[in-house]
Amino acid sequence: MSSRTRIKTRDGVLIDEVYQSPVDRYEVRFRKLFLLIVLVLAALIVGYVIWSVTTDHPVTYSNITEHFKYGSIGSEPGGPLMSPVGGVLPPYWVFRVLPAICPDKLPGGYTSLGFIYEPGRDLPIGISRRRRLGMDQVGLNCAACHTGTVRETPTSEAQIVLGMPAHQLDLQRLFDGVLSCTLDERLSLDNLLGKIKESGGHLGLIEGLLYRTALLNQIRTASLRQQGRSGVLLSTAVPAWGRGRVDTFNPYKAIQFNWSLAQLPPAELIGAADLPSLWNQQPREGMQLHWDGNNNSVDERNLSAAIGAGVTPVTVDHDNIKRVRDWIWTLPPPKYPYAIDAARAASGQAIYAQLCAECHSFGGKRTGSVVDIGDIGTDPSRLNSYTHIFAANQAALFPESRYRFTHFRKTHGYANQLLDGIWARAPYLHNGSVPTLWDLLLSPEDRPQQFSRGYDVYDKEKVGFISDTPGAKRTGSPYDTTVPGNGNAGHLYGTHLSDEEKRALVEYMKTL
Amino acid sequence: MENDVIFQPLRFRNLTVKNRLFRSNISGRFDNYDGSGTQARINWEEKFARGGVGAILSSFCPVHVRGRIVPNYAMIDNDDKIPFWHEVGEAVHRYDCKYIVQLSHSGRQRDIPGVENLMQKALSSTNQTDTFHGLLCEAMTADQIKDVVQLFANAARRARIAGLDGVELHASHGYLFTQFLSSAINDRKDEYGGSLENRARFLLEVIQAIRQEVGHDFHLQVKINAVDFNNALFPWEKKGNTLEESIQICTMVEAAGVDAIHVSIGSIFPHPLLPPGGFPPDEINWWYGNIISSGVRGYLNYTLFHFRLFRPLFLFLWNRTKKRHPVERVSAEYAREVKKHVNIPVLNTGGYQDARLIRKVISEGYTDAVSIARPLVANNDLPQILLSGRDLPEQPCSFCNRCLVNAIANPLGCYDVRRFKGDRNAMIQEVMSVFSSPPPLAAEVTPHE
Repeated sequence: MSSRTRIKTRDGVLIDEVYQSPVDRYEVRFRKLFLLIVLVLAALIVGYVIWSVTTDHPVTYSNITEHFKYGSIGSEPGGPLMSPVGGVLPPYWVFRVLPAICPDKLPGGYTSLGFIYEPGRDLPIGISRRRRLGMDQVGLNCAACHTGTVRETPTSEAQIVLGMPAHQLDLQRLFDGVLSCTLDERLSLDNLLGKIKESGGHLGLIEGLLYRTALLNQIRTASLRQQGRSGVLLSTAVPAWGRGRVDTFNPYKAIQFNWSLAQLPPAELIGAADLPSLWNQQPREGMQLHWDGNNNSVDERNLSAAIGAGVTPVTVDHDNIKRVRDWIWTLPPPKYPYAIDAARAASGQAIYAQLCAECHSFGGKRTGSVVDIGDIGTDPSRLNSYTHIFAANQAALFPESRYRFTHFRKTHGYANQLLDGIWARAPYLHNGSVPTLWDLLLSPEDRPQQFSRGYDVYDKEKVGFISDTPGAKRTGSPYDTTVPGNGNAGHLYGTHLSDEEKRALVEYMKTL
Repeated sequence: MENDVIFQPLRFRNLTVKNRLFRSNISGRFDNYDGSGTQARINWEEKFARGGVGAILSSFCPVHVRGRIVPNYAMIDNDDKIPFWHEVGEAVHRYDCKYIVQLSHSGRQRDIPGVENLMQKALSSTNQTDTFHGLLCEAMTADQIKDVVQLFANAARRARIAGLDGVELHASHGYLFTQFLSSAINDRKDEYGGSLENRARFLLEVIQAIRQEVGHDFHLQVKINAVDFNNALFPWEKKGNTLEESIQICTMVEAAGVDAIHVSIGSIFPHPLLPPGGFPPDEINWWYGNIISSGVRGYLNYTLFHFRLFRPLFLFLWNRTKKRHPVERVSAEYAREVKKHVNIPVLNTGGYQDARLIRKVISEGYTDAVSIARPLVANNDLPQILLSGRDLPEQPCSFCNRCLVNAIANPLGCYDVRRFKGDRNAMIQEVMSVFSSPPPLAAEVTPHE
């Protein structure tokens, strides 16, 4: 039997009847199925595209040290596809081939900037990989600034020490190189895809599409924005940070708060300070942390440091940061790797107890508290770069969240640090202006005025890194104590000791 | 050529044919829509009788309108058709040519159902849709089977009354009988499905009914495909009947009282091996439109034929089985096997044109006679050419199958313009000649007594 459709006018007059043959009925059924299949396929495709561009999937590591070295803390760009936020590095493949595209801007690749490559790794320690915005992204993690190398002699193999200040890392040159190369004409689509192919890279469907369409413009826009905000920090208006140092808070002002740095007092832009160690955090809880002691919460300090690595409130990965936090909570400081003169160290221990313990020992009366700048007398630039108004703004970073900063305070001095693993934390003082412990026990006028930092061959006698040999000059970055912010004055404790007493004290400090 | 085996008479139990060349079943849409015959069909058949074939096997002749393939083919569904068939018989008998009408029922393989059938599905052994065009069907009930059996018997009676020389049951090419016989198609659970005996039951009942209706002294032959090759086109389909099964069917129908077996190949039509030869995509593109709405896969097929991009896909499927078979004598080996197992004459069809080949298959026991369609469409006088001692006509059939594709839409004739030296007008004129009565008998042709 045929089925019928009747078509009537509004006044009920039958104007047409449409019949269906068995074939029609079958095809109607089939068309519905076909439509369903098309809809399902379309939904799958749309779903796949949406999944591709919204998926947020870090490369994960079950081993905690691998996680520390390569795991993501959320510093890769993320958020909405069309207006991503966060991150200071371009996507994975761009990052990988950038040195090949601009060899003049990133000579020697990332290794020459102090990044450490382990055998068989595509990325150096401190660079994490994460799928975001439809493609593989990279970001900085804790290990970038907190993993260093030590060599006994220039021909020895470098020992990688996790949690140690990355005294060899030149972050400023990294940011400058990446920024100028991403704005370079040579970063064309053809060049980029060609270099990726040369490197054996393969872009996925959506990733390839994004690379071919929107990515380069997006990178350039982001770089221009970054340059507009923080370019002054990469210019000659501000003294070079050099290896092993970072200006913690000024980039923060530019990138997180979009402050116009040019309108700040020029002296406030000089804030470079030594990268600190990361081990043994548990006893530090409650102490005044950061060089100027502006926060006494380890977790807030950690989160604030993550922001410095490119994390934003939108892209932050609290769980992965917590994994690192739990590990460094009890991570022991590295033992001094060379011989110690036990007798001399024993006599040094007494001097230490008398002269240093009150401010620097576990349980010391003044350990972890701030000493007024007038009393300590070290270079004030870093202290001055952190301002009241900046502290107030930090409180607005994670509004209405349990991560909201509540512990930041402006101080008026520098905090006394615990000295665990101090042998591996050279150069010394907050700005790294004194190459060795021995030098620190000299009067400021006798301390080295110019030296090189970032060379990882160890000076067992003076305890610190060799800073005055041709090798040190070739590898390291020059440091001039007369440059604003680089002053090596202050902290006169122990300068009055005899040479033998000093030698004993330094020997003892190897054991900390 | 007096002793040429091709021109020796062939004696069946109830019929003697003057030579071994049969015009095989082929036709165009020459008749009236209601299945009544026209002069064009008489002209068509007369062309071949005049050309010298010993017998003509009519084209597909439906025993009921529900079982036709396309409209405009003469039917034998009613007694009112008897006078027309008598006239056809008379026309060919004048040339000492016998006329055997092929009694047929399309089953589900109803390429263009026509207005009479628009609102009803085709009858078949199964509810499963045809695999090529997606023609819909429904499994016949026992009562419907009984009715159809009687339709065949009635049609045979009409053939005999009309003075025709015999009937052929079309149990090949995927039509209704094949739909019962083939293990790939017949999925019935009753006494007409399952075992080979059950699948053959419908055919045997028809034979029995015909013998009851017309007696044992009227020529009755069965056309059967020796192997199904049901998966020749789509590899995922079942293979269907093997040669061994077909031979068993042949021995059953022989025992049931048929006078000859006509051996072909393939369980659907068209089929990569049936008819053997080309599959012209241009021609298909022009004429397949007539079939599009008949089945539920018409649009898909048309898409494959119409867009050049997709043609290789279809042609890949279509040609993959062909490569293992010759175009000429495509089923000769199978005919020989059938012939070894039966004691009645065997006819074989499939790519016969060359006298040397025909002589070989007859003299070497492959078959007793050959039936020819396309080469006779190309050269109506092929028998006379062979009789004159030549092995091939000057412009032989190329087996391009353009005639086959045109048959669903147009008057039938040879549509290979190469045979007309590129002169399309001459080709069309030749095709249209079917609508003009032939000139009076030439003196050299022996009139029917």
